[in-house]
Amino acid sequence: MPTTADLSLQLTLKSRQISEFFPLLQRGIWLPATTGCSVIKLLSNQLGIAEDYVADRITTLFLDGKAIDDAAASFVKDGSTLALSSAMPGLVGSTMRRGGHLAAMRGEITYHQTKVLTVGAGKVKIKLFNMLMKEVGPLLLERGFIISGAELVTLLTEGEASFQDGCVSVSVNDRPYSCDELGGKLLTILSPQQTILLKIIWKD
Amino acid sequence: MDKILRINMGASGGPSQAVEKAGEYTALGGRATTSMIVAKEVPPDCHPLGAENKLVIAPGMLSGTAAAMSGRISVGCKSPLTGGIKESNAGGQAAQVMARLGYAAIILEGKPATDDLYKIHIDKDKVTISVDNSLKLMDNYPLVEKLREEYGDKVAYMTIGSAGERKMAAASIACSDPELRPSRHCGRGGVGAVMGAKQVKAIIFDDNGCKNRQPKDPEKYKAANRAYVEGIRKHAVSGEGLPAYGTNILTNVLNEAGGYPTNNFKTGFFEGGTKISGEAQAELEIKRGGLATHGCHRGCVIQCSGIYNDKDGKFLTKQPEYETVWSHGGHCGIDDLDTIAMLDFLDDNIGVDTIEMGVAVGVAMDGGVIEFGDCEGAIRLVRDEVGKGTPLGRILGGGAELTGKAFAVERVPVVKGQALPAYDPRTVQGIGVTYATSTMGADHTAGYAVATNILKVGGDVDPLKPEGQVDLSRNLQIATTAIDATGMCLFIAFPILDQPETFDALLDLLGSFYGIEMTGDDVVALGKKVLTLEREFNKKAGFGAEDDRLPRFFKTEPLAPHNLTFAVKDEELDELYNWS
Repeated sequence: MPTTADLSLQLTLKSRQISEFFPLLQRGIWLPATTGCSVIKLLSNQLGIAEDYVADRITTLFLDGKAIDDAAASFVKDGSTLALSSAMPGLVGSTMRRGGHLAAMRGEITYHQTKVLTVGAGKVKIKLFNMLMKEVGPLLLERGFIISGAELVTLLTEGEASFQDGCVSVSVNDRPYSCDELGGKLLTILSPQQTILLKIIWKD
Repeated sequence: MDKILRINMGASGGPSQAVEKAGEYTALGGRATTSMIVAKEVPPDCHPLGAENKLVIAPGMLSGTAAAMSGRISVGCKSPLTGGIKESNAGGQAAQVMARLGYAAIILEGKPATDDLYKIHIDKDKVTISVDNSLKLMDNYPLVEKLREEYGDKVAYMTIGSAGERKMAAASIACSDPELRPSRHCGRGGVGAVMGAKQVKAIIFDDNGCKNRQPKDPEKYKAANRAYVEGIRKHAVSGEGLPAYGTNILTNVLNEAGGYPTNNFKTGFFEGGTKISGEAQAELEIKRGGLATHGCHRGCVIQCSGIYNDKDGKFLTKQPEYETVWSHGGHCGIDDLDTIAMLDFLDDNIGVDTIEMGVAVGVAMDGGVIEFGDCEGAIRLVRDEVGKGTPLGRILGGGAELTGKAFAVERVPVVKGQALPAYDPRTVQGIGVTYATSTMGADHTAGYAVATNILKVGGDVDPLKPEGQVDLSRNLQIATTAIDATGMCLFIAFPILDQPETFDALLDLLGSFYGIEMTGDDVVALGKKVLTLEREFNKKAGFGAEDDRLPRFFKTEPLAPHNLTFAVKDEELDELYNWS
């Protein structure tokens, strides 16, 4: 996934439409970001998530499939995947928890930083699970994320009725389109190989 | 709960009954009661389906009271699946009603001389044991419907489906929920086959005219219950995550960790994981007019269950649990929630353990019976083979180990004959220690996330050092055994893990009810006592150190994406039961 996009799409949607993005948020969205920084810097300084929220609410984090115990000592590189979750049940849920009492039980998949990373422009895939989809999802979608034409067509097709219902306005490369064209004409101008910077503006 | 009901199904002239004082089992409950009775009264080398085995049913210490989350019921016996001691517990209404009737335990022993099928009705005045051969080979849902015509809706039912009557080693015992659906199962270890061997199809608990059990110190008890409920409600797991998404909230996280066993433990990541996640399941349930939040018994504060409707908005099954979604889902390469929900219903109806059944189907897939990902094929195997008791169905219903042997599969994920649950031990090695060494066979609830840090079971272990897997597992198993003895829902583990005041409230709740002072040390001592008895039973049943092992493929086949093997040494596993 490149860090720049072929075109820019902005959707203004009613806030209840957030649930249409839940499958996508679980699979992960690519965000343009400065990489080579710590996870906590990425989340707080770049993505605007309050540090207290990260500390209290995002209790389970995986960086490239490895469980994180210290968000300040874990570093994202270009192309990293960062998965975020609130507290989990079960023995394994507790085991995965950041710095938890049972962390030793998953020692083999605990994240350890091995080399210094270069700071630069890149992209990071963020996955959101459970409560965080509702709580953090709107913020990330509003910042804008990169999505392939194929994924966007799937998203718009699967949620067509809901998007039509909740659509306030649409623009492509700053040119306005009618909401009626969201599932029709708009799809015809997208090719699967294109990359799109998609921004969602939320309207109550 | 000051009495024990003993029913001898093999008495000459038909079943006999006797009521005894609870004696040494007074102020005990759940797993403590069942395991102590089984260890004392059942010959460890007996045949699990023979007359010498006993089926012991016990509510929790606080069942039948106003205490929240106190509705677990335990069933114990010698397991036909593992050959060792077994305790299997479930929610539903049975524990509360049985406890209000005053029984600390019901013991079914002996075996009828004829092939008659029995039902047992228990109310405050009498116990009625009657022959009802019209119930033969009925499955749980139609069975409970039929029983309701006779006994009504203000009772609780414990029943077996056709699998229990056929004495399949994966057979479960169903407990009815508040809506009288037989959806809560004592699933593990084949306890339903033992009830089937006793030729008891149904137990009907009727507490009409009974009141809640009363505490010795009502004021202290009321205050403790309030603090305990507050603690459960304010915790992020028990107050938010579980009510919103149920246990299936774990799918995404396990998949992300690369610890989600897929296609019979071949890889740790399932491509279709997000399609069957708890998040996807809750959305679908709400969209179809079901419920994403629902309790399995009255008095449940957490409400981790739900109602899963079909495409037409009609009830299909209760919300499938994480382990079920995994066993019939990722383990079998199936990423369709409707298929998984149908399989969950079939398991509940026929009366089989969803973990054992799903794992057996996955092993059969590995043996070439059907392809991984074959939704229709999986439904056909459970509905038409297991449900009808065909030769193939009896193999599958005999569990994963038997299925593996029948189809010459090398990768068979079992310990002591019981299928592994939904966490790959190569990724989370600590749980592998528990799977290997538990007295119950592979069991994810045997060493739960109980407050060992607060209890100080066995001292402190540095959470960020990789050493100490065995120490951690030992401590968790001791603490979990004690919680199982209280009969409280295991999901209280999270608030008591993180909030010392909630743990204190639980101790106060128990102490004020029985008029005793309870400390963390008492809890630890009880856990050790029960585990020691269970371990001794298993030794006499023929188990040795060589049985406290994971299947060898976990040591030799690296699991993608982390390419890990299980690295805890056998000598370390052998240290687990060394405690002072």
